Amino acid sequence: MKDTGTAIVKNKRSAADREGAGCHAQVQQSVDHLPKILLVGTPNVGKSVIFNKLTGAYVTVSNYPGTTVEVSKGRGRIGDTVYGIIDTPGMYSMMPITEEELVTRDLLLTEDPDLVIHVTDAKNLERMLPMTLQLCESGLPVILVLNVMDEAESLGLEIDVRKLESLLGIPVVATVAAANKGLDILKERIRKYGESVA
Amino acid sequence: MENLLHDFRYNESLEEAIRRIEGLLKSAYRISKRQIALLLLQGDEQIEKLIDDREPGSLEGIKQVVKETREKFDQPLSYVIALERQELASRIAADVITQKPKKASRVSEVLSRLTIQPLTGIPILLLVLYLGFYKFVGELGAGTVVDFLEGTLFEEHLNPWINGIVETYIPWKPLQELIAMDYGVLTLGLRYAVAIILPIVGFFFLVFSVIEDSGYLPRLALLVDRVFKKIGLSGRAVIPMTLGFGCGTMATMVSRTLETKREKFIATFLLALAIPCSAQLGVIMSLLSSHPGAMLIWLLFMAVIFLFIGFLTAKVVPGTPSNFYMEVPPLRMPKLSNVLAKTFSRMQWYFVEILPLFLLGSVIIWLGNLTGVFNMLLSLVEPIVKLMDLPAEAAESFVFGFFRRDYGAAGLYDLNSTGALSPRQLVVAAASLTLFVPCVAQFTMMIKERGLKTAAGMAAIIFPFAFLAGILLNALLKLTGVL
Repeated sequence: MKDTGTAIVKNKRSAADREGAGCHAQVQQSVDHLPKILLVGTPNVGKSVIFNKLTGAYVTVSNYPGTTVEVSKGRGRIGDTVYGIIDTPGMYSMMPITEEELVTRDLLLTEDPDLVIHVTDAKNLERMLPMTLQLCESGLPVILVLNVMDEAESLGLEIDVRKLESLLGIPVVATVAAANKGLDILKERIRKYGESVA
Repeated sequence: MENLLHDFRYNESLEEAIRRIEGLLKSAYRISKRQIALLLLQGDEQIEKLIDDREPGSLEGIKQVVKETREKFDQPLSYVIALERQELASRIAADVITQKPKKASRVSEVLSRLTIQPLTGIPILLLVLYLGFYKFVGELGAGTVVDFLEGTLFEEHLNPWINGIVETYIPWKPLQELIAMDYGVLTLGLRYAVAIILPIVGFFFLVFSVIEDSGYLPRLALLVDRVFKKIGLSGRAVIPMTLGFGCGTMATMVSRTLETKREKFIATFLLALAIPCSAQLGVIMSLLSSHPGAMLIWLLFMAVIFLFIGFLTAKVVPGTPSNFYMEVPPLRMPKLSNVLAKTFSRMQWYFVEILPLFLLGSVIIWLGNLTGVFNMLLSLVEPIVKLMDLPAEAAESFVFGFFRRDYGAAGLYDLNSTGALSPRQLVVAAASLTLFVPCVAQFTMMIKERGLKTAAGMAAIIFPFAFLAGILLNALLKLTGVL
């Protein structure tokens, strides 16, 4: 039985925001009753790019941290299942400091996601792993995405994805989302994950 | 192979505390009790509140455990926990990452350094502003393109045609004026929105998208951090501030990314007061572009106001400047497809947002004209406008501007095209219109983000300040005989 879920802090602005804040080209499709995928990660790692690719919608994407300050929800078909996909403002750890971080953590505490995709910047894997750890500690089903792999490679970083996968015990996918690389594998992993849960 | 994540344990004192807290937690939560316990140990107030809501009885015992555990360590528990996590992360990273020789070109690294160091960074900033905004948005967008759309398309062809049709088929004069003529929905509202504002905003968003995607903004943040500290902000505020040159409404919302309440307050206030939005900026640039001296004075005046008021606000509003920490992403070549998609989606948002307001504006002005309220407002503003040595007709721009910033600027554009303004009058009008109240949309966002009281207070300061600054600037210019 799912618990009754109280929002940690009643996000008093959320309803009002949804109307007026379209300038960031947020997407608000209904994702009720769909299996839910939450995209989380530090700012500027490409969560919104992946959101756009998975849903076919467009939310604003930029090259600086903090582009997304609002939650976007969209629908995306992966395999035979339609998922509700939720893009979140960047978050550095499970202990939120700023308002947008709090928004994301609230989602983790209230949305009951079927899957959490932790999007990271492959260049800074070492700094990003603590959050993967925190997500796993929270008992959430996590897929780790190493995004912007191309930049990591051009810095001479070679990452053994297989080994990382077995050390962490969760699926790990390397991507260059902006160039559409690795997304098929990500979808495949999501599909498998869905099957294993079902 | 071992599963490091799953087997990961903190040091024994922490683990014991976690076990004890887990034992005290009675309800089920959507995340594991282990994580809840860890957050409580780190002093997370939100989680404490959650526990207090759900199972108030458990809280006291938990607090006791947290207190006892804290006493066992010299450092804050959040630090101890973060450190142990990071140690594991580093171990894993070392295990899976091999460092090969770099393939990256040094060009972007050199360029990156140049943008941050003041000696080279400031000239680069000026170059970006000059090429991107003055040349591209100002001259090409607000100049050439608007001239064509507004001057040629509307004034020479569409408006006379609409006026002709309306005069022929609609016998009633007030209705003629609602649709066409000087303030008509089609001849004024639609013209302002489509022919003046939209092209300018579109050109701005195009440049801004390229700058955003290149990764220049975080570097600019580093560059101006020291100056921003003086006005109670940190480099982090660069993003809402520069975004404000696009659209103050959007920027006010993005000020949410700032860390402290104080920073948010100062940023919101400065956005409302001293940062012109792209529509204003474009119109002002095209108005002043024929008088470089006037342009320079306007620029200096706005910069001084921005810094001075920022400095004052920082003195008045209590609190300390927050520390600046921002990830600096690599410089990247912007992708054309994303730049275009983003520009398009922002223009679409803007258009959907402004067109109804512009049309409504025409209707309100029409109503105001019919009832005489508009003239009453004008006669209220006229004396103030005269104090600034502006022609009485400029009062219209201010009354418009109250409704929407860009509307006011567009009104000024209209006025100037009749050749009614001298360079000094242009500067004074441009400056006080820039300072003048934020548009309705921005004001709504201010209320949403900062609360009604704060927003209303800000407006109450800005309103007289804009006029006062205009009067002062005019007096100063007259006295020194610069313009």
